[in-house]
Amino acid sequence: MRDPQTAPPRLHMVFAGLGLGFLAIFSWVFLREQGAEWRSLQARFRGVQTTVKNPHQLAEAAGAQGLRQVWLADLGRVDRCATCHLGIDDPAFASASAPFRTHPGTWLATHPVERFGCTACHDGQGEATDYEHAAHQPIPHVERAMRPLETIEANCGSCHRSLDPPDAPRLAAGRRLIVESGCVSCHDIPGFERMRFRGPALDSLGYKVRAEWVQAWLKDPKAYLPSSRMGNFRLSQAEITALQALLLSQKAQAPLDAAVDWKKADTVAGRALFGELRCVSCHAVGGRGGTMGPELTRIGDKVRREWLFSFLKDPHREQPDTAMLQYRLKDEEVRDLTAFLLDEYKTGGAEAETVLASYQDPRAVQDGQTVFVRHGCYGCHRLAGLSETGKIGPSLAGVADRDPDQLPYGRNVVRRTTDNYIFLKLLLPDALGTPSLMPTLGFTPVQAATITVALAGLRKADLPASRVVKVTPPDPYRPQGRFGEIATRYRCLSCHRIGGTGGDLSTVPLDRIGSQLQSDYLVRYLLNPGAVRVSVEARMPVFHMPPEEARTIADYAAATFLDDDLDRYDARFTPAEARRGEQLYRQLGCVGCHQMDMQGGYVGPDLSNTGTRLRPGWTAAWLTAPERYKPGTLQPDYGLTAADARALTAYLTTLGAHGAAPPAGGPAGGQ
Amino acid sequence: MIRRCVVGLLVGVAVAGCRRAAPAPPADPMIEAIRAEEQAAGLTYAQAHGKHLFDHYCATCHGEGGAGDGQNASNLSPPPPDLTASKSLADAAYTRRVIVEGSAAVGRSPLSPPWGRSLSRQQIEYLTVYCQALKKKSAPSPRPPSP
Repeated sequence: MRDPQTAPPRLHMVFAGLGLGFLAIFSWVFLREQGAEWRSLQARFRGVQTTVKNPHQLAEAAGAQGLRQVWLADLGRVDRCATCHLGIDDPAFASASAPFRTHPGTWLATHPVERFGCTACHDGQGEATDYEHAAHQPIPHVERAMRPLETIEANCGSCHRSLDPPDAPRLAAGRRLIVESGCVSCHDIPGFERMRFRGPALDSLGYKVRAEWVQAWLKDPKAYLPSSRMGNFRLSQAEITALQALLLSQKAQAPLDAAVDWKKADTVAGRALFGELRCVSCHAVGGRGGTMGPELTRIGDKVRREWLFSFLKDPHREQPDTAMLQYRLKDEEVRDLTAFLLDEYKTGGAEAETVLASYQDPRAVQDGQTVFVRHGCYGCHRLAGLSETGKIGPSLAGVADRDPDQLPYGRNVVRRTTDNYIFLKLLLPDALGTPSLMPTLGFTPVQAATITVALAGLRKADLPASRVVKVTPPDPYRPQGRFGEIATRYRCLSCHRIGGTGGDLSTVPLDRIGSQLQSDYLVRYLLNPGAVRVSVEARMPVFHMPPEEARTIADYAAATFLDDDLDRYDARFTPAEARRGEQLYRQLGCVGCHQMDMQGGYVGPDLSNTGTRLRPGWTAAWLTAPERYKPGTLQPDYGLTAADARALTAYLTTLGAHGAAPPAGGPAGGQ
Repeated sequence: MIRRCVVGLLVGVAVAGCRRAAPAPPADPMIEAIRAEEQAAGLTYAQAHGKHLFDHYCATCHGEGGAGDGQNASNLSPPPPDLTASKSLADAAYTRRVIVEGSAAVGRSPLSPPWGRSLSRQQIEYLTVYCQALKKKSAPSPRPPSP
């Protein structure tokens, strides 16, 4: 009889087997955990520590055994990167080897790990604790592998929403390209809601251009003008013919004064005017000059004579949105300028004015309208009788979070990422296997990649407001009254900025110009704008402005565009202050950049007549904190004390004060 | 039976391994476009950013390539040094100091002004790195013309 207390021997064997099995599994788990990559790295780190010369914070790091993580509740992120990157915020590890090295640059000073973690900027899988699964390199089925440095600025854009984010030049360049390329005409893009991009209004095109030019232009705008901003819409010949009929039938406003005596046109006088008016500040010819207006290199192949005369006489009549100012010119001057432009800037023997074929066929015009709407031309161009019907392209909100596996890549063998999709779409909109109305904009690969960097920060789920660094632009400034009329006529805001509105071709915004410049100087300058900075190519145009208008502007500025802090400045200087200022001027090396009495550099303005040009309060304020008034200025901030700034101001105020010479006058004309 | 299983498993693993290695890794044209540009200029990420700043703040006097031939150079006495041949650039702290405090701070002429209050610390880092690269690059190959 068997003892009931003892189990049968076979059961013993089963127990033993199971026990061993469990032991094996347990040991396997235990050993695997003990041998984890991060543990061996931490062990290596403890070895590295002894070789670090100045281990000032290492007591804490040495005790670092186990997982280390940053939990960002508001972003829903857990980053364990610091488990291996143990020296990341410790400058003592600047020369340590890879996982332990200090973070380069000063990024962690502005983005401390405790507050930003790692993956907010770098992407990758923050919860993983080994190299492969953290997605340092792309791995299958992980959408967000770590970004390489080349594209990392895309993530800056998630939080930094201003057009020109600090320390992220590629992102800034991408955003500028988005604005310049007119993406906003077809797409809603978060952050660009207030941007506008307009091509010329087309409702008088029938008077403006030559018929054969329309045909060539629609086929490939860049063939006529490589710098054209209009993309190639890949139109069929039938579409081009229909559009051509529509466009040439547009005759809303007949040109002014069609009866000009062209036989008297003097192209030599026209050439002189072209230089004097400084047209090249905005228009390039032969690849040189400004980019605000269209390049004029082949203008003679494009426009008709009567139209150009009319446009130069009053650009705002037909194109109310144009950035071009209205000069005060006599009819003969406009005629000479027109004749010069058409004669000088053409390629072929386009003398024979094409007789406009009959483009009044209503059916062709109707077809043209269909094509016009289908391709969304109204996004950029106004056409009479056509109300805007919204943006033709899809909104780009959340484009960075689209599922990369659902996107078309055409026949391109690429890694499936939204980055690559956006890049290919920008570069080859028609080669992704799906029909697309998006024009080919002729981007270079680098331009496309740069725009991609800017778009890749547009995530679907928006960040908590506390994370967003946003600059809300103020309401656009609109000049009013008589000053408003003048400012509109001369399009001051095409180049100058007031109240956050306007172009940035000029140096400092005009918001406090009344406190910066002396009124008389401003009048003289407006009547005969000389070069204040000779090295700057873009110059203020010579408007041929009547003195009354110049006075109105100066009075308005002196009453409105003020900064009381500058005006309150005590300008009663002592001779001793002026003498000390002169010393400082030499000591600081101001002569390196500024001309004075025909000596010195050509970087900053000539200071010989400062005493009649600037108001002392401004001079002192500018010298003390130039970056405050013009970010990115070449005027260095010397960290002057108030007394030093005052001394320099005292000295500069004495310059040119007696026997005031008018500002360096006369167009330098060296274009 | 067991042996057969093990052999099958090994073959399976081997095949899987081969299949993984076989196709060429798919391309990343977007990143490659940027890399191609950086390679053409021979600059790293930090250096490329430094070049932006150098072109804006420094090139007027020091010249695009740092050879001391900027458009304003002829107005300066003493003229700006040829940075591509400068020995002091090897010292990062010294370079940084000249950028931040101006050349007067190291006992030279005051014509190179201090930029420490105008630039962020990060920008100064980029600029320092680029200035140092000016020197290193001068020997092996002439700088490609900037576009």
